[in-house]
Amino acid sequence: MAAPILSVLAAATEDSGGLWAHLFETVLPRYVANTLALMAGVGGLSLVLGVSTAWVVTRYEFPGRRVFEWMLVLPFAVPAYLIAYVYTDFLDYAGPVQGALRDAFGWQTRRDYWFPEIRSMGGAIVVMGAVLYPYVYMMARTAFKLTPHTLFEIARVHDRGLFRTVGLPLARPAIAAGLALVLMETVSDFGTVDYFALETLTLGIFNVWLGMNSLPAAAQIASLGFLFVIAMLVLELMSRRRRRYVDTGRRMRSLARLRAGPAQTAACLAVCLLPVTVGFLIPVGVLLSFVVKGYALPDYGGVLTVTLNSVVVALAVAALVMAAAALMVVTVAYRPSRPLTVLAGVASSGYAFPGTILAIGVVTFAGAVDRGLDGLISGVMGLSFDGFLTGGIGLVLFACMVRFQAIGYGALTSGMNRLPPNTVSAGRVLGLSLPANLFRVILPLLGTSFLAGGLLVFVDVMKELPMTLLLRPFGFDTLATHLYQFAKDELLEQAAVPALLIVLAGTGPVILMNEALRRLGEGRAGTR
Amino acid sequence: MRGIAVAAPGERTARAGRGMLARVGAAMRLPARACALGALAGLAGLAWPAGDAQAADELNLYSHRQPFLIEPFLQAFTAETGIEVNVVYASKGLAQRLQAEGKNSPADVVLTVDIGRLAIYADKDLLAPVESAVLTEAVPAHLRDPDGRWFALSKRARVIAVSKDRVPAGAITTYEDLADPEWAGLVCSRPGSHVYNRAMMASMIAAHGEEGAEEWATGLVANLARRPQGNDRAQVKAIYEGLCDVALINSYYYGKLSSSDIEAQREWAASMTMIFPNQDDRGTHINISGGGVAKHSKNKETAVAFLEFLTKRDAQELYGAVNFEFPVNLAVEAAPAVRAWGTFKEDALPIVRIAELAPAAQRVIDRTGW
Repeated sequence: MAAPILSVLAAATEDSGGLWAHLFETVLPRYVANTLALMAGVGGLSLVLGVSTAWVVTRYEFPGRRVFEWMLVLPFAVPAYLIAYVYTDFLDYAGPVQGALRDAFGWQTRRDYWFPEIRSMGGAIVVMGAVLYPYVYMMARTAFKLTPHTLFEIARVHDRGLFRTVGLPLARPAIAAGLALVLMETVSDFGTVDYFALETLTLGIFNVWLGMNSLPAAAQIASLGFLFVIAMLVLELMSRRRRRYVDTGRRMRSLARLRAGPAQTAACLAVCLLPVTVGFLIPVGVLLSFVVKGYALPDYGGVLTVTLNSVVVALAVAALVMAAAALMVVTVAYRPSRPLTVLAGVASSGYAFPGTILAIGVVTFAGAVDRGLDGLISGVMGLSFDGFLTGGIGLVLFACMVRFQAIGYGALTSGMNRLPPNTVSAGRVLGLSLPANLFRVILPLLGTSFLAGGLLVFVDVMKELPMTLLLRPFGFDTLATHLYQFAKDELLEQAAVPALLIVLAGTGPVILMNEALRRLGEGRAGTR
Repeated sequence: MRGIAVAAPGERTARAGRGMLARVGAAMRLPARACALGALAGLAGLAWPAGDAQAADELNLYSHRQPFLIEPFLQAFTAETGIEVNVVYASKGLAQRLQAEGKNSPADVVLTVDIGRLAIYADKDLLAPVESAVLTEAVPAHLRDPDGRWFALSKRARVIAVSKDRVPAGAITTYEDLADPEWAGLVCSRPGSHVYNRAMMASMIAAHGEEGAEEWATGLVANLARRPQGNDRAQVKAIYEGLCDVALINSYYYGKLSSSDIEAQREWAASMTMIFPNQDDRGTHINISGGGVAKHSKNKETAVAFLEFLTKRDAQELYGAVNFEFPVNLAVEAAPAVRAWGTFKEDALPIVRIAELAPAAQRVIDRTGW
């Protein structure tokens, strides 16, 4: 599975004909600065939203808390490119917000007043942060719940702030993990930055590739973005290297929630309501209003097929990713060796590349395999061979697997880390082979992580656009590709129905996943 | 000892991090091969026979044009010939896909919406030379490949949109006027690196040389009312909003907006006047949508017949009716709505020059920050 990633990196080693000198002199500094600003902004916003909401729902008891626990995950079902379209329509001059302001104050034209420009760095940070923070929220919330109450009690005895001295430091690895996913998605995002015309590395990749006909230089820029993410992660690891996160307690409960007073209740509600409104309620409301106004195309038969395609692909990829992840996790645990660990890492890093670039890696790799097989089959055996990789739906599945492997592998690794490290060894001592170990020991113990990871992948595949677009066979549409042909021309009205279906199809799994994680947190905390 | 916090993907990313660093070492070879084998086995399991799905009375199309825009053409073709047409639409990367598929590719015909991409297919040797009297007669020589690998199918003009109320008639007549300091802070544009602007820039290079074109772009960028953003539709909207007075757009956007179902869009269009620039010298810059036959098509006759169909009267009229484009076939009149814009002089530069100058154009765009 690392092959497509390696083939992108291999393309990056080809000569780009002196383009770099030109790029360095002109646009590259701008690309880098913008990318860093976007990463810092989206990362920062996701941290603030994710950690504050997670703390509030685990620490305080207030009316609506149980509802917010899952509502806060919902923005995850909204694709970032979609929310960018929606907010532009909603907030620009001709949109309802400015229209109402003009009516209220009697302004005539745009030059009469100031209004923040949504197609800007700030706008991009807000819309991306609003749909990406749930990664941090989910991770942080589980971590807060798993923190033993004894530690909080010690802090309380010493009259120290619980959040600052215990909650935050102990949740740090989990928060960093959520943040890593946010950053990878930020670096690889194309839809939003293209729509907002922000000159980031991803936009640069496409300018160089399509404008200068240089795929090698484009692959080089893509690898640069990839290095950014890796650098961030290494920094975080180094900064916590000498601390250990050890839990010796066996019987623990999580901290009892505080009943919030009126002022606190108001604060809690505000903290939770803000991200849900911005990330879910407003976008869904705007889309619904298009449907109600009747702008949407009423081709419901076609939409049904397309929905079915999306769901089938997403289910298949989720199953495949989790199966592959299980194999990888067990193999690494079974026979830990450096090359294997490295390989598992590479195979799970596809998430940091823009989808289209990764898709080209996939297609190049598949083409090479096809040619190899062709030579073997028609050359050696004298049979004709049609090439079964290129042009089939298998390629879409494979590409999605490569891209979302990070998520499946991450979910299972975290599950593994909660198991005593000698579980696998015990199986080996008892003479279980690798597959037997997998089915009889590991899987039964990792059920919840399995479910959570699979659902996460499912929702991500539902939202996936660029790879499906490029790799799909004839006449095959998913909701995202169907939506794209309209959205590309800023025909948001026609795109409303498929857009709502993507969100709707993502909502169910998101709620389910949330339940799984919640049970995980509470089940663990309730262990006697 | 157990980790308290769910280290979740933190552990994974930790591995990824270490992995990437260690990858620099040569320790990679063996596992890479092992993994390729594993992936191969996995893929074989997933594979779905698709290459042989094609029957003789079907045609497979790789399109850079949105499905809802080509659907009327396909329906007309099927009605006339009984041949079904299958489409894969993507805006980027289809050339790489075709290249990787090689001789097993199921594609018969490639359609693009600009000359730059057509030329890329030709450069990568992905198109078959076609000899067709119908095509060479219908498509003027400067709008097709000398070797017959691609043909223009419709034309669109890059025109200047100006505010009806705020820009007096005759104040702007050329592209060069856009760089005049008189319009400082009044010009809107989509990003320079979009294919339409890149082609525009290439035509400026053809007319004035790289230095002259760079000077022009510098002036244009200095006149911008806001950071380049949005598509051509959004530029018209910005004129309507009073954000700017002047913008570069493709002609068909005006047609689409003025006949939109949505009242607001008709208002945007009503706020602007369309100017065909440079009528007294080289003429207005035009771009094309076009197509070619895939090199490894197993259905070349049908593929050629399809391209021929697209250059004949019915389809040529359809380009105007569906998308407000101009016919390439001079024997065919434009659709009534397009004809209403009047006739204009086109830049007769061989369209292939636009593609050849595209990389130089992108460099100028990078240098001037358009």
